[in-house]
Amino acid sequence: MSNATPKILENLLLAIAQKQDREAFVKLFEATSSRLKAFAMQCGATSNDAEELLQECMLTVWRKAHTFNPKTGTAITWLYTIIRNKRIDFARKGRYDTVLSDDLWNDEGGTELENDVSSDLDAKVARTLLESLPDEQRQVVYKVYFEGKSHSEIAADLDLPLGTIKSRLRLAMKKLDTLAKEQMTWLIIILTMNF
Amino acid sequence: MANYHPNNELLMSFAAGQLPNSLGIMVACHLEQCHSCRQQTHLYEQLGGELLGDLPEETVGTNVLSRILDRIDEPVSAPSLATLNQGDLAIPRPLRRFIPGSLDTLEWSGMTKSIREFDIEIEDPQFKAKLYKIGAGKELPEHTHEGNEFTYVIDGSFADKTCQYHEGDFILADTQTIHQPRATMDKDCICFAVMDAPLKMTGIFGRMLNPFMR
Repeated sequence: MSNATPKILENLLLAIAQKQDREAFVKLFEATSSRLKAFAMQCGATSNDAEELLQECMLTVWRKAHTFNPKTGTAITWLYTIIRNKRIDFARKGRYDTVLSDDLWNDEGGTELENDVSSDLDAKVARTLLESLPDEQRQVVYKVYFEGKSHSEIAADLDLPLGTIKSRLRLAMKKLDTLAKEQMTWLIIILTMNF
Repeated sequence: MANYHPNNELLMSFAAGQLPNSLGIMVACHLEQCHSCRQQTHLYEQLGGELLGDLPEETVGTNVLSRILDRIDEPVSAPSLATLNQGDLAIPRPLRRFIPGSLDTLEWSGMTKSIREFDIEIEDPQFKAKLYKIGAGKELPEHTHEGNEFTYVIDGSFADKTCQYHEGDFILADTQTIHQPRATMDKDCICFAVMDAPLKMTGIFGRMLNPFMR
């Protein structure tokens, strides 16, 4: 991923979707597997479990590549949703009363979020946000995503008052919203110029 | 269109795949109805993608790729329980498979005819999930909450002192909220509720009723 641009990842995924291209699949594995494994380990998996999860994830990538739609988001975002869902289902196999990722997210649909120009911009927004967040806000966002901690658990972890955690998270979210709004403005300008 | 929404903290945790089971199902019910929350969630998924791309790399065992390639032509396993889509179409899709049969034939229980309840079996160490049915025009005793209670309106509508809630609305009540919901006259109101502590009744009638309520 360090050397694979978003466009390269996108083309690899499209080649898998359209031509069941195994060579592209191997390249995608090489470009992303070290970080997909890192995701699992950040979420608390052992190295063995993380590789197990990585296998499940890549098999799903192969089978579901046709659901990737570059008009709704970037390749890395799509990969993120796959590994996120696999993590949810990993520990819950075969239980009837538990929640599976398919309960929470429907494969179908998503076309309403389509836009010819927005996905690149969206990715830019998220990237800019990540780069511009002060470390202390970034740390809280990170714990929400990878450790699934409640705000009070994060407060206990960092030995800080609950109010501090809540305000750091709110500041990060506000920044993301502001960036998203700016991006909408750009989108409108671009669309207007196209007409 | 829904007027009351999950807050951004909940949407972010949902996009992170980190909400407790029952609460995740409830947010998913709302998202099926709400375009703006879907968009917001999508933004948080993009943030998740960027976080993924930013992680320090872990060394992957040399045999992992070959193990994947060995399995790549395996037939796809049976569809998961979640995609079979059985149950009453009046129930939002994410919740449907957890409710046996249809809303009309459910075995409701409860003290009074005006409020009936049904326990939903979703594995969740943190929250209890229930369906409530408030009879048309009926009112719940005034109460507050020992913990958080999340409510999603499946059908009908109910009003509080200050607000009116309709199908698709997502409502959060915490220990500071004292409320006395009343279903609107025209029909029964059916809600999906997720709570982390039993209700604590505050009114006179409430205090009498409380010891008997489960």
